[in-house]
Amino acid sequence: MRRGKFRLMLAVFAAGYLVALWWVFTRSAPLVSARPVTIRFAHWQIEKGPPDGIRAVIRRYEELNPRVKVEQVEVPGPVYRQWVRTNLTGGTATDLMEFAYWLQGMNDVPVRYFEPLTAAMSETNPYNRGTPMEKVPWRQTFADGLYEMISQSPEIGQVYGATLSQGSSRLFCNRELLKKITGSAAPPVTLADFRTLCAQVDDYARRTGVVLRPLAGSYSNAQWLADFVMFGTLTGMSLELDREGYLARWPWQAQSDYLLGRWNYRRPEVKAGFAMLREFTQQMRPGFSQLSRDDALQEFVRGAALFIYSGTYDATSLKRLAPFPVQAMRLPQPTKDDPVVGPYVVGPYKDGYLGTSFELYLNKHSPHKAEALDFLRFLTSVEGGQLFMDHSGWLSSVRGVKVPPEMEIYRGSMDGHSAGPQYMGVGPYSTMAFWQHLNLLVGPQGSVDKFVEALENGMRKQVTEDARVQIRTDLEAIRAVDTEIAAMNALNRLQAPDPARALRQHALASNQTVAEINEGQAAWVLQRHGYRQP
Amino acid sequence: MSLLLGVVCVPPAVRATDADVAVAWEYLGRHLANDALGALQKSGAPDSREAALAEAVVRIDLQPVTDAGLRKVEAQLSELARGRDEIAAAAAYLTGRLYQVHFFTPDPVRAAQIYAQLADKSPASFWAQLGLVKLMLLRLYVLPEAGDPAARVAAAGALLPRVTQPELQRDALIVLGRGRLFHGQPVAGVLADLLAADRIGGLTGLRRVELQLQIAELSRREKLWEQARVYFERYLAENEVDGRMATVKAKLAEIAAAQRAEGPSS
Repeated sequence: MRRGKFRLMLAVFAAGYLVALWWVFTRSAPLVSARPVTIRFAHWQIEKGPPDGIRAVIRRYEELNPRVKVEQVEVPGPVYRQWVRTNLTGGTATDLMEFAYWLQGMNDVPVRYFEPLTAAMSETNPYNRGTPMEKVPWRQTFADGLYEMISQSPEIGQVYGATLSQGSSRLFCNRELLKKITGSAAPPVTLADFRTLCAQVDDYARRTGVVLRPLAGSYSNAQWLADFVMFGTLTGMSLELDREGYLARWPWQAQSDYLLGRWNYRRPEVKAGFAMLREFTQQMRPGFSQLSRDDALQEFVRGAALFIYSGTYDATSLKRLAPFPVQAMRLPQPTKDDPVVGPYVVGPYKDGYLGTSFELYLNKHSPHKAEALDFLRFLTSVEGGQLFMDHSGWLSSVRGVKVPPEMEIYRGSMDGHSAGPQYMGVGPYSTMAFWQHLNLLVGPQGSVDKFVEALENGMRKQVTEDARVQIRTDLEAIRAVDTEIAAMNALNRLQAPDPARALRQHALASNQTVAEINEGQAAWVLQRHGYRQP
Repeated sequence: MSLLLGVVCVPPAVRATDADVAVAWEYLGRHLANDALGALQKSGAPDSREAALAEAVVRIDLQPVTDAGLRKVEAQLSELARGRDEIAAAAAYLTGRLYQVHFFTPDPVRAAQIYAQLADKSPASFWAQLGLVKLMLLRLYVLPEAGDPAARVAAAGALLPRVTQPELQRDALIVLGRGRLFHGQPVAGVLADLLAADRIGGLTGLRRVELQLQIAELSRREKLWEQARVYFERYLAENEVDGRMATVKAKLAEIAAAQRAEGPSS
């Protein structure tokens, strides 16, 4: 009996041992990592959604690539710029990093620290095998062909990164509340409808005694609203200022235009845009300009505002946090019969961002460049894009990814004018002045005239500083290209001539020359029109 | 004894081979100046003109860039520029670039002199031709003696026949066309330059888009309806994603209406 018990125990022990052996060798993580390569990927998209999407992509990538471990590094937006600069300079930066052309004072970063992806972008993405994108060059698999990124590249024509997402600003609505106030969940179709709805909200709040505003308010949300209003109102002015025939105006051109007296904040269309901005921001709670984007989000999810105007990057947060159904809709555009800005409206204008975003760059000093590039390819493949979108709620940048019908509205429209900046500053100094004075427009005692006069007083100095910054950063990028041209030329001298390399040498020279035309014209305006030398 | 040991331990003089220099240039093409310097120094001091040029360019890119450092680079380049080969032309051109954009206080007059001398010495070299394009820019926007805007355009235009390499000739035409426009010269001249640049071709991406749109829109403003229509339609056919498509469609509708109003002879 005792011996039988002993045998049973031995059998159980042996079975347990065999199961443990099987588990160790087939399933569990080994004591020493079987993944000799670890790549790290930093970004500032720490809203609800993107980290989940990226985690899902990493999980699948690690299944496919047992050698590689991928770590996601989430860095808060407010410190991201300093974080990037410090780590790149100190040689401790991650292998892949989010970056954007509009990060101020960072124009030199792509050329100095990121690996150009131009050549890789002209090849197909191996992770798209078996999909409709199988034979399409990587660059063309992005919804905008990376047009936006390339057009802003410090080295004209060079592709420095890949994008992960796309989106737009949209009006998000508390549908239950809308129905309660109006008796219908139908969204406003015209701007007149929207104005009527705002009046209904105020009336409802008065009647019921609840704290309720038409629009959730914060400094950031007001900024996005201002983009929408000013862009549409000033399209005609951009086209009028376009002496070169590009059918567009860029901020650096708007700087020269301002210094040459071709426009200022006293122009009637600019003042009309400000009048509409004041009207819209009065639908937000008082003191909104002191509040953050999170404050506005909380105001909306607790039912204290009917709408929130925000980027679709907030859609996932809104849907996960709000205890009511949230519907995304377009904010109706002003038309030619609008009582405030109508005379200056050229026609429908672009609604949302046409370009893709969430730009990811490859650190040229990465010890695992091949693996990081491979992960970037997977992340922006059809499979990777689908995983990212399904788990993040953010629209993927990749063509061929199946978009659910409720997310279609996140896409920007191509059927409107897109001619220039919003003129709420045309560089870092003037932009800061614009927002510092905004209280004179949107505050209770504010007015368009007070705001305009405060802006114009000193704006020449601000725009001059903007132009100087622009010239300085342009020159940094221009200088860097000399080295590359010399290198391409020398390599074709020392090695067998390579047509692709020769083509690159000419493209570099050509793009550098165009950058120097722009820089030369901006410097001419500063020097010859009574402004300080750059 | 120690002297003997020193003699024994000194490695044999190693010549920086073309392969080493090529590795350095590969690094330089990616702005990895430290790695490029390492590749050059691995096999000893630069002992060929190729290696010396590579080292000078490394020092242009190596952080921190200082004016004193750039003065040393200038001395190296000036030495190299004395020859008559491709390296001499590259060195002369880069010396011009130091004076045009790299020194903390640029000297555009000196840069212009260097480009002009290079174009006289090696007129067919890529570097001399590129230098002529940069000289056009200096005459249009920077040099003090270039005169009033019309004189500036004329002075820049005088260099155009000397730029014969197609890609650089195309760029020179764009420089000139945009210079005319900026200095308020007649649009007919601008269009002639831009159309000639387009005939040479070779532009891709955004640069091609902008040339097409500029020709189309300036033609429309000059009431050259057919030319405007052709270029706007070419833009639409070649571009799937560009924010200006709706504006271009509106312009095409305006052109069609104008052509209808003017009748079949337009």
